[in-house]
Amino acid sequence: MMDFGTNKTLSTFFVNRDRVNAPNYDQGLLWVTLIMLGISVVMVYSASIALAEADKATGHQATYFLIRQAVFLVIGAAAAFITFQIPMQWWQKMAPYLFLIGLFLLVLVLVPGIGRNVNGSRRWLSLVFINLQPSEFMKLFSAMYVADYAVRKASKMDSLVSGFLPMVAVMIIVGGLLLHEPDFGAFAVIASISIAILWLGGINVKIFIGLLVTMPIGIILLIWSSPYRMQRVIGFMNPWADPYGKGYQLSHALIAFGRGEWFGVGLGASVEKLLYLPEAHTDFLLAVIAEELGFVGVAVVIGLFSWLVIRAFSIGKTAIENERYFSGLLAQGLGVWVGAQGFINMGVNMGLLPTKGLTLPLLSFGGSGILANCIAMAVLLRIDWESRRLQKSLPT
Amino acid sequence: MAYESTSKMQNIVKVPVWRRRLLLIAVLLSFAALLVRSVYLQSLHKSFLQKEGNARYSRTLSLQAYRGKILDRNGELLAISSPVETIWANPTDVVIDQVQTKAMASLLNMRTADIDKKLANPQREFVYIKRRLPPDLAAKVMSLSIPGVYSEREYKRYYPAADVTAHLVGFTGVDDNGQEGFELAQNTWLSGKSGSRRVLKDRQGHIIEDLEAVKVPQDGHDLMLSIDRRIQYLAYRELAKAVETNKAIAGAAIVLDAKTGEVLAMVNLPTYNPNNPVNVKGKTRNRAITDTFEPGSTMKPISVSAALESGNFTPESKIQTSPGTLSIGPATIHDSHPQGLISVGQVIQKSSNVGAAKMALTLQPEFLWGYFNQIGFGSPTHIGFPGEGSGRLRNYKTWRPIEQATMSFGHGISVTLLQLARAYTVFANDGELRPVSLLKLNEAPIGHRVYSAQVANEMKDMLETVVQPGGTALKAQIAGYRVAGKTGTAHKLGAHGYEEDKYVASFVGMAPASDPRLIMAVMIDEPSNGEYYGGSVAAPVFSKVMADALRMLGIPQDAPNNNVVIPTDETNAEPEVKETT
Repeated sequence: MMDFGTNKTLSTFFVNRDRVNAPNYDQGLLWVTLIMLGISVVMVYSASIALAEADKATGHQATYFLIRQAVFLVIGAAAAFITFQIPMQWWQKMAPYLFLIGLFLLVLVLVPGIGRNVNGSRRWLSLVFINLQPSEFMKLFSAMYVADYAVRKASKMDSLVSGFLPMVAVMIIVGGLLLHEPDFGAFAVIASISIAILWLGGINVKIFIGLLVTMPIGIILLIWSSPYRMQRVIGFMNPWADPYGKGYQLSHALIAFGRGEWFGVGLGASVEKLLYLPEAHTDFLLAVIAEELGFVGVAVVIGLFSWLVIRAFSIGKTAIENERYFSGLLAQGLGVWVGAQGFINMGVNMGLLPTKGLTLPLLSFGGSGILANCIAMAVLLRIDWESRRLQKSLPT
Repeated sequence: MAYESTSKMQNIVKVPVWRRRLLLIAVLLSFAALLVRSVYLQSLHKSFLQKEGNARYSRTLSLQAYRGKILDRNGELLAISSPVETIWANPTDVVIDQVQTKAMASLLNMRTADIDKKLANPQREFVYIKRRLPPDLAAKVMSLSIPGVYSEREYKRYYPAADVTAHLVGFTGVDDNGQEGFELAQNTWLSGKSGSRRVLKDRQGHIIEDLEAVKVPQDGHDLMLSIDRRIQYLAYRELAKAVETNKAIAGAAIVLDAKTGEVLAMVNLPTYNPNNPVNVKGKTRNRAITDTFEPGSTMKPISVSAALESGNFTPESKIQTSPGTLSIGPATIHDSHPQGLISVGQVIQKSSNVGAAKMALTLQPEFLWGYFNQIGFGSPTHIGFPGEGSGRLRNYKTWRPIEQATMSFGHGISVTLLQLARAYTVFANDGELRPVSLLKLNEAPIGHRVYSAQVANEMKDMLETVVQPGGTALKAQIAGYRVAGKTGTAHKLGAHGYEEDKYVASFVGMAPASDPRLIMAVMIDEPSNGEYYGGSVAAPVFSKVMADALRMLGIPQDAPNNNVVIPTDETNAEPEVKETT
C-alpha cells in the first residue's frame, strides 16, 4: 500500500533525526493511526466493491473507491508530514485567521454554482480536481480557534458576558452556516469540541450546567424545525415500524450487526454491503465491519478510538503541565473531536443516535475527512514532540 | 496576542485536573455504552435481526420441473416445453432512472407508463414485468443491470402440429397448468413435481449462495398418444376441405385401429392454434368426444343386426317397404326413395327407414335396448378425456312404439362420434366390441361380444354393398381395397323439433373389408352448399383419408386397383329421414 510506504519514510525520517535518544515522538499514536488507516483501506474496499461495480458513475470499476481512498491517504500522509514541521506557536498565531478562512469556505459552500449539492446537502466545494468538504477542516480550525480563545480569555473564563457569550455568538454563526447545508453532524462535533475546550479551559461551572440544560432544548427545537431531521429521528426511534421507508438504512445497519455475531461472517462476506445498506463505505462502514468481523472487529475499533482519545488527553495533560496551554487544550480538543465523532457515528450505526451524515474518523471513505484527520493526528504528534523536546530542554 | 512561549501567559489558565478526568471518563463511558450495545445487537438480538435479514435477501426459488412431452404413437412431437425467461421485479428494491425505464420499455415493447405503474407500489415485493420472453431478449433486459429486476426461467409449451392436434393435446395456461385436452386430463403426469432452492441474493438479484440443500424438481413424464400424426394430418386436411366446400359449421372425424381400438386420428373443426390460444371460445371442444348428435342411418346396422340376432330375420328375409311410408299412430315414417319389397340386405344398402323400423318393431324393447346398451350407447367410453359426452339412450320401459321405430334409424337417440366409431368395431371383429384408447397400447385390449360372429360378418357383407352400385355411398370406394360402411343423413334437432333444412351428414366405414384394419367415422355438421347426404358429403372424406392411411400403414390390398365404380347421380341417393309427430 502506497500510504504505508510513505508513512514509513516519515517514521524513518524521525528516527534519523534524533538517532541517539529514545523515541522523541509518540510511536504508539503513530502506529495506532497507521493501523486505523490500514483498516480503512481494507474495509472501504470491502464495503465499496459491490457499489462500485454496480454504479455507472464509477465505470463499474471494483477498485474505484479503493484507489481513491489510497490516493487520499498519500495526500493525507504528505499533509501530515508538512504539518508535523509546523511549530504550535504558528498554529496559535494563525488560529483566528484559519477560523475566518473556515467561515469563508462555509459561506462559499452555500453559494449556488460553487457549492455542490449531493443528496440534498450542499457540503462540498467543487474544485478543479477534487471536491472539498469545508466542514471537515472547520472542525480542526474550530478546535484551534476555541483553544486559542480559551487561552486569550483565560482570566475571563468565569464571566458569562465577556468569557462565554462571545463564544456562543461565534458558535451560532458557525452553527447557522452548517445547518444551512445542512450538516447537523458536523455542527454537533464542532459544538462538542468547543464546549469541551471551554470546559477544560476553566469555564464557570454554573454556566456550563446552564449550557447542559439549554443545549438539549435547542437540539429538540432544531429537530422539530426540520421535517427531514424529524423523519430521521422517527426512523431512529423504531426502524422496524417502517423498515422500507424511514427506517430502511438503520434497519439494514442493525441487521449487519446481528449477522456478524461474535466473529463476523468473514472479511468480504458481508451481504448488507451488496447494495442493501446505503453508504456502507462512508457513514455506515462500522456496520460492514460488524458484519464481516463481528463483535471482535467492533471492539477493536472502539478500542482504537479509546486509545486515541486517551493518548490525546495524555498529550494534552503533559503540554499543560509544561504550561503550553494552547497546545494542551488543542490536543484534548482533537481527542474530543475524534472521540465525539467516532461515538456519534458508531452510535448511529448501532441505532443509539438518530442518523446523521457523519463519517467514522480515520476509517470511512472521504478525501476531506481523511485529510483533516491526518492533519489532526500530525498536530497531536507535533504537540507531543514539542513536549518531549521541552522536557529535554531542546529548542522547539 | 499572547503565545504560550511568552512568560506572561504562565499560570493564567486555571486548569483543574478533575475536569479533564471527568471529560475523559465521560468519553470512555460513551464508548463502553457502544460496546454494550454491540454485544446486545450481535449476540442477544441477533436472531431477530438475522430473521429480518433473511426476509430481505433470502428467496425461495421455485425450480420448475420440466413438463413431459406429448408424443404421437411413433414418437413424433405433439407438445414440447421450450425455455423462456420471465422478467419480474421487486419494487421495494428497484432503483431505476428514466433512461433505463425507456430502454426496458423499448426492449419489451411496452409503454414506459406501464412499467412505472408496475413498479409504483413499494409495498409489493413481486410483480411480473413481462412473462415468457425469448431468452436472448431477456438477457438484453438483464444487461441493463437494474437493481431489483430479475429474470426467471420458465417453460413455454410449443405445439408443432398446432391446429391439427389442438383438440386432443389442448394447451397450458400461463402457469404451465393444463387448460384443455390431454394437457388438462394428464396434467399431474405431465407436470411432475417442482423443486425449490433457498438462496441468498444481493440487491440486484444475483444469487450469492444456497442456504439449504436444493430440492431437485422431478420432471414430468412423457405421454404417448395412440395418434398417428400422419393420419391425423390427412384426416384434418380432408375434413377441412369437406367442411369448407360444403359450407358446414363444424365437422369431426375419427380413425380407429379396428383391432386394438386405438384412436389413430381424431380431428375437429373449427379449430384453433394452441400456441396462441386467444379467442378460442367455442373452438376448443373436442366435438368427436364431447358433442352428441342424432346419428341417423348409421344406426341401422346396429338395430338390423339386433333383428338378425333375434332369429326373426336372415339377410335374405323380405321386408315390404311399399309405399315408402309407415304410420304408427299419428306419426308417419318416410323413405325418400320408396323401394317396395326388399331384402334385409337392401334395407341396409338402400337405407330404408321403413324397413329398419318394421324389423325393429318385431323386437321386445328390452331386447333392442340390450344391444344398444351393449354396443356402448348411453354411457361414456371412459377414454380418459375431459368433458366426454355419454349420449342419450332412454330406458326401454319408457319406449313407445314410434320411438322404438325411429331409434332403429338413429333418431330419438344421441351418440358421440367416438361412441359411433367404437360401435362399428363389432363389425370388424366378428361381433366383439373393442374399448377405445387415445393412449398407445402395447397389445389389443380384451373386448366383449355384442353379436355373434355370423351376424357381425353378415352385416359387414351388407355394409360392403352400400359402397357398391345400388348403395348410398359409392363415393366411399377406395381403389385396391374393399370397403364396408354406412351413410347417415339426419335432420338436426332444433328448439321446435326437427329442422327442415339442417342436417348432420355422416359416414362410418372400415377397410379392408375382408379383414378390417381401420375404421373411420366422419361427421359434417350443417352442410349447406346444396349437398347434404352422408354419401356425398361425408363419404368422400372417408375415401380419401382411408386410401392414403391404408397405403401409409402398408396394409395389403384385398381388391384389384380397378375396383372403383364411377358413381352416377342415380345411385348416389340416400333416403331422407322424415318423421312427423
